[in-house]
Amino acid sequence: MTETDIQLKKFQKELSAGTVSLALLAVLARTDEPMYGYQIAKQLERFGDGVLSGKQSALYPVLRNLGAAGLLDSHVEPSVSGPPRRYYRLTGQGQQTLREWAAAWRATRDSVDSVLEGLLP
Amino acid sequence: MNTALPTSIAEYLEQLRAALVGADPALVQDALYDAEEYLRSEMAENPKKSEAEVIASVAGSYGAPDEVADIYRDTEVTVNRALRAPPPRPRKSALGDFFGVIADPRAYTSMFYMVLSLATGIFYFTWVVAGASLSAGLAVLIIGIPFVILFFGSVRILSLVEGRLVEVMLGERMPRRPLYAERGKPLLQRIADMFIDPRTWSTMVYFLAMLPLGIIYFTITVTMIAIALGFIAAPVAVWFFGANAALGVDHWQLLSIRDDVIGTSVELWALPLLFVAGFLLLFFTLHVVRGIGMLHGLLAKHLLVKSAAY
Repeated sequence: MTETDIQLKKFQKELSAGTVSLALLAVLARTDEPMYGYQIAKQLERFGDGVLSGKQSALYPVLRNLGAAGLLDSHVEPSVSGPPRRYYRLTGQGQQTLREWAAAWRATRDSVDSVLEGLLP
Repeated sequence: MNTALPTSIAEYLEQLRAALVGADPALVQDALYDAEEYLRSEMAENPKKSEAEVIASVAGSYGAPDEVADIYRDTEVTVNRALRAPPPRPRKSALGDFFGVIADPRAYTSMFYMVLSLATGIFYFTWVVAGASLSAGLAVLIIGIPFVILFFGSVRILSLVEGRLVEVMLGERMPRRPLYAERGKPLLQRIADMFIDPRTWSTMVYFLAMLPLGIIYFTITVTMIAIALGFIAAPVAVWFFGANAALGVDHWQLLSIRDDVIGTSVELWALPLLFVAGFLLLFFTLHVVRGIGMLHGLLAKHLLVKSAAY
């Protein structure tokens, strides 16, 4: 792995730290149905590249983290294919948080975009 | 570590376990559980593929065991930093160390746990003793077998519940997911495993010990707090609420309330000393409670989790 590759990887890791939480909240906000870890991971995979396409095992600890912070509600249901699944859904606090984070994200994205504008080929 | 890609789910979990060696057992348990959920779901989505093929594709999306292990190690650090109450600032002087305990939330949560442990201790003890004796008694009958299995299962669930209490109140990392290894085995084999698993037995020992421990914890907490508050209350009553000092009714009394007369047998000159002693005792109690809480957390970790992860 070359020097730039390492730096790119590090940058992606830092970028994904906060955005993954935002994306998870957004995925859960798009549906009324509670979803379990694997479904959420696959859903996210459908949205394409970028930092969100990193290893999906990283999503599980973040889900648990968001649950512990009261942004997600969860319950366990037995499943035929494996261990009981934990289903997550957004809480009221989670929706509120999502709105605030989304606004923060858009502001950041716009300002980063305008700084980059015209710079890159 | 650079091992060949596993070809079965059991092998994948085994490699993940190996890659996580030395990590917190509770984290290992969570990581194995999550991986198994993902792998089984992927299998169910692609019924035509073989286990080896599924795992090969999963290594790209979910991650190979080594990568997953790294991710969990990393995340655990970040999550701890984000979620846990920040550790109290290290105090510079011994004096600051002694009085700083008043600002440590862990001291109060430990105290709450210790008071609560009387109730939980009685419950766990009763549950295990009743369950074990009924199991023994019913063992000769046909319904004895399902009863024993149910009882053992219930002990595992209780162990998880107690783990949550211990983590929240005593700050010791405990598993958040039940132990769910060996999914591929037939039902009878899994039931047999439940009986061989040393953790099932150590959990029962823990629950039995919780009764005496709960009584001791409760008594220590209530007694020390009551004494400290009594020491503080007596001088305050005399100075601000007109209670009598140096009272000589019947026998020596720290604080007596009788026929509308509030008083203490302590001499007037000794009241400031009593007041200071009460305050010191209050701080000392917080230290004792926090210390016992920490020790109990280690005990719980040892008996409820330790033997399980490896």
